Amino acid sequence: MKNKTTKKISKTYLIKKNNHISSNMKLQFYYHMQLMRKFEETVFKLYRQGKVVGGAYSSEGNEATAIGSAFALEKNDYLFPMHRDIGAHFVKGQSVKNLMLNYLGKSQSPARGHDGTGHYADMKLKIFGNISPLGAMIPLANGVALASKMKKEKSVVLNYIGDGGSSIGDFHEALVMASVMKLPLILIIENNQYAYSTHISKQFIVEKLSDRAIGYGINGITIDGTDVELVYKTTKDAVENARKGNGPTLIESVTMRMQGHAIHDDASYVPKKLMDYWKKKDPIVVYEKKLFAEKILSDKKKNEILSEIQRQLDEASDVALNSPFPVWEDANEKVFAE
Amino acid sequence: MKTLTYIEAISEALWEEMERDKNVFLLGEDIGKYGGAFKVTKGFHEHFGEERVIDTVLAENAIIGAATGAAMMGMRPIAEIQFADFVSNGFNQLVNNSAKIFWRCNIPVPMVVRLPSGGGIHGGPYHSINPEAWFFHIPGLKLVAPSTPYDAKGLLKSAIRDNNPILYFESKFLYRRIKGEVPTNDYTVEIGKADIKRNGNDISIITYGTGVHWSLEAAKILEEENIDVEVLDLRSLIPIDKEAIFSSVKKTGKILIVHEDTLTGGIGGEIAALISDNCFEFLDAPIKRIASPDTPIPFAPTLEDHFLPNTKKVLSALKSLAKY
Amino acid sequence: MAKIEIPMPQLGESLTEGTIIKWNKKVGDTIKKDETLLEISTDKVDSEIPSSTSGVVSKIYFEEGKTVPIKTIIAEIETDASNVSQKDIPQKKEEVKQVETKIEIEKPISVSSPVQKLEKPQPGRFYSPLVLNIARTENISMSELEQIAGTGENGRVSKKDILAYVEAKKHGKVSSTISSSLSTQKIETTLKHVDSGELIKKYPQPQYEILQMSNVLQKMAEHMVKSVQTSPHVQAIHTCDFTEIAKFREINAIEFEKQEGFKLTFMPFIANAIVQALKEFPIVNSSVEGDKIILKKFINLGIAVASEQGLIVPVIKNAEEKNFLGIARNINDLALKTRTKKLQMSDIENGTFTISNYGVFGNIIGMPIINQPQVAILGTGAIKKQPVVINDAIAIRSISYFTLSFDHRIIDGAIGGQFLMSVIRNIENFNFKNAI
Repeated sequence: MKNKTTKKISKTYLIKKNNHISSNMKLQFYYHMQLMRKFEETVFKLYRQGKVVGGAYSSEGNEATAIGSAFALEKNDYLFPMHRDIGAHFVKGQSVKNLMLNYLGKSQSPARGHDGTGHYADMKLKIFGNISPLGAMIPLANGVALASKMKKEKSVVLNYIGDGGSSIGDFHEALVMASVMKLPLILIIENNQYAYSTHISKQFIVEKLSDRAIGYGINGITIDGTDVELVYKTTKDAVENARKGNGPTLIESVTMRMQGHAIHDDASYVPKKLMDYWKKKDPIVVYEKKLFAEKILSDKKKNEILSEIQRQLDEASDVALNSPFPVWEDANEKVFAE
Repeated sequence: MKTLTYIEAISEALWEEMERDKNVFLLGEDIGKYGGAFKVTKGFHEHFGEERVIDTVLAENAIIGAATGAAMMGMRPIAEIQFADFVSNGFNQLVNNSAKIFWRCNIPVPMVVRLPSGGGIHGGPYHSINPEAWFFHIPGLKLVAPSTPYDAKGLLKSAIRDNNPILYFESKFLYRRIKGEVPTNDYTVEIGKADIKRNGNDISIITYGTGVHWSLEAAKILEEENIDVEVLDLRSLIPIDKEAIFSSVKKTGKILIVHEDTLTGGIGGEIAALISDNCFEFLDAPIKRIASPDTPIPFAPTLEDHFLPNTKKVLSALKSLAKY
Repeated sequence: MAKIEIPMPQLGESLTEGTIIKWNKKVGDTIKKDETLLEISTDKVDSEIPSSTSGVVSKIYFEEGKTVPIKTIIAEIETDASNVSQKDIPQKKEEVKQVETKIEIEKPISVSSPVQKLEKPQPGRFYSPLVLNIARTENISMSELEQIAGTGENGRVSKKDILAYVEAKKHGKVSSTISSSLSTQKIETTLKHVDSGELIKKYPQPQYEILQMSNVLQKMAEHMVKSVQTSPHVQAIHTCDFTEIAKFREINAIEFEKQEGFKLTFMPFIANAIVQALKEFPIVNSSVEGDKIILKKFINLGIAVASEQGLIVPVIKNAEEKNFLGIARNINDLALKTRTKKLQMSDIENGTFTISNYGVFGNIIGMPIINQPQVAILGTGAIKKQPVVINDAIAIRSISYFTLSFDHRIIDGAIGGQFLMSVIRNIENFNFKNAI
């Protein structure tokens, strides 16, 4: 897939700086992509055992986008991930255990059972977990960006939505506001070809979703979302641009949703050919090969990483499964802050 | 004490709170240099600067969403929705984000949405609505509706200092029509506390906003007929002061609920249900409601006059209750 | 000898089962008809079940604590042939029926319904929840409620109406009837309006004449029915010797009239004697509210008189503070007012005891009905000369028969009898120095 940039993007903005990615960072990319996939595999397993209720969502195919972009943030920056960015939570500092607890709806989870999956917020880590009408997150992200700007924090806000989430009015309203107010916002549209079962051809007819940036007078770029380093570099540029006060960037990261919308969905509506094409572009498999070729990764190192991940997941699952469910008490009725 | 109009009381509350707390800021349409459609924020832009008096795009979801996000960050945004009718465009942000964030994430959302509401100004179907019932049903939002300059200022100050999303329903009709005494020093009116605007023993009117004034006028007229009417001004709709309602019911046994909003699905229905649930054995008459009919708000003066509740309608309901 | 099967009775239309709380008899015990055989409990009531027959308990089918569907046979009794005539031994089926009927009749007595509970309103009249609530807390029965005139729409009893009634009742301005919780059976006290058109067909002229009852008559009717319904009346009768008083009256009649301006009658003597007796027996000067007795520290003595309008009872207020002359003057005042129709509400309300002097019509013995909410009434017969045995000699004395009707809910025969004798003693031993 070709990387295209929209006409409005200035030459200086293109990915040129921060080109050097250290070996250590590459291993970090690899580790987090693997952790993300293994975490979700564990969730699926628990779901089938009846331990996880509600929904279980797979990000298979989206790991490079979630991990690469999240690594572009500093500690003081804000993350508004959606449900196919579980790895971004980990990059931002969230523990495997906490997310596992949240998936299981346990009382010790960040959302205390009031909400599940990746739905929670952690002010310390500056993570605002996702809101289900995805486009509805952007106005909120604007508010965080506005407040951060007023507080002169020099922070940026990274928000992800899906291709389907770009259709609701909030998307337009928020980009109009963010552009006018030059808010430090980076919006990544994870174009994974399907909004639930609806193909992108039924959602937009622009060539690229980043073309919409032209309408708002902001920077826009479409990239291959399976390339973790490309995602990192692109986001890093957008982050720095925003930090300078140059306003928002719209990034379309093109990926493939390799599973159904959620665990109950067999994605039978996806043509096999399309699936086969994207299988070859599996971000982890491709990146693993690259790191092996660059001699950054070895079988030994890989096994070390995988067993460390497994150890963490086993431990987190064990804690989460043995943790109590919340019971309804007065606090659950507390809809107002003191 | 000093005498202020209702709208001056609102302006003063905003001004004083912005002076008091630098985290308080305003955002909305035309509120900057222009001073707002009703001039509530006239002079604010010059004094506080454009960073704290923000003219926004004409997009209510963006306005309310931004206010919500900023509130999560510990700011105290006050969003002005130019006409309360337009809050429907910000409905998604209010009910999905503002209302739920504290419950979901344990993060306070201290924000105020000001909603110039109501008819009587020949605004027609898009500039006259009373939308409180839309939000009355949403757990997580507080709703206040002052009827006097004193309450307007005191409640707005409380709302700004409160750590929750608050919808502040201000009556456009009352803006410059009523004046009242307001303390010169700083004061607040507690959210969730109703106020007996008039003591009485025979019939209780439970009302808020413009309804308070029709009710007081009708009660005054009935003095001559020796009918002693109590007027309970709810002031806050959420949380609703159940104790005050119940104690008034227990006192009089006859209840008239008055609101400008349309009848079906209005707040009056919930109040009636609360009374029935909790005070059934104290009722000496059916609970009656005076509200607008179930139509959009008409434009022509003759039609609007017919549509809105007024003193006469309240009076006739009171008389039939007295007779019952 | 015959075997009688005892079924589980149905103690209410909606009930389908009953629980055996206690067997008062065991197998082999003899039982008399109407003696309690067992106690049962249902959702609605706990009841003692009397035996429908005399005999020996021969079988008990269910032990205590068991819940049994109605009409299930729970025991058998072998009737004792020597005590029961053939006629009294019905067939089995009829016997079962008899048990049920019996229970139905006994039900009201054994019901321990909470005093607080109000009966269902009569159809046709609506009471708001508040009015019913006030009625309950103020112990106003449904039949009483029905007496209250409503000022609300369509005559509805409003909160104000019932509160005014409660207030009036507290000051004794309303004759309150505490409906007995002993009986759940509702007796109509309000006179039903009947259409005279229908009645004329039934009772054609000239053989019949249909008269409309006056308001006073209607009130009297209602009042009397209510009284009989409320108080179990018991009578005690004794003679009272007026000979000495009659003599005194003859001697002092002219002097008294000159001094006081009115004739000296027998009534002040009776009234005075009653006041003294009431002081001795305060319980007779009381009323009953629910399970409480209200002792009155004042004596308002009513004297029933027949007037043109009907029965009327003027009251001597605070008779306990008055001497003989005061009482006599008060009686005269009231008599005057009655004749001239100048009696006011305050003259006839709030009595605590009543005298009914049917002697004026020449009757010697009567059975007066208590004037509610009082608990006793004294009836005085005509004073007639009669032969009386005194010290084993026959003497001619002026004798009147006194009948005391009293409320057996709170006054038993001993107190009632002693009170009556006290009144008589006070008359027969009257100290004439007090009269002049």
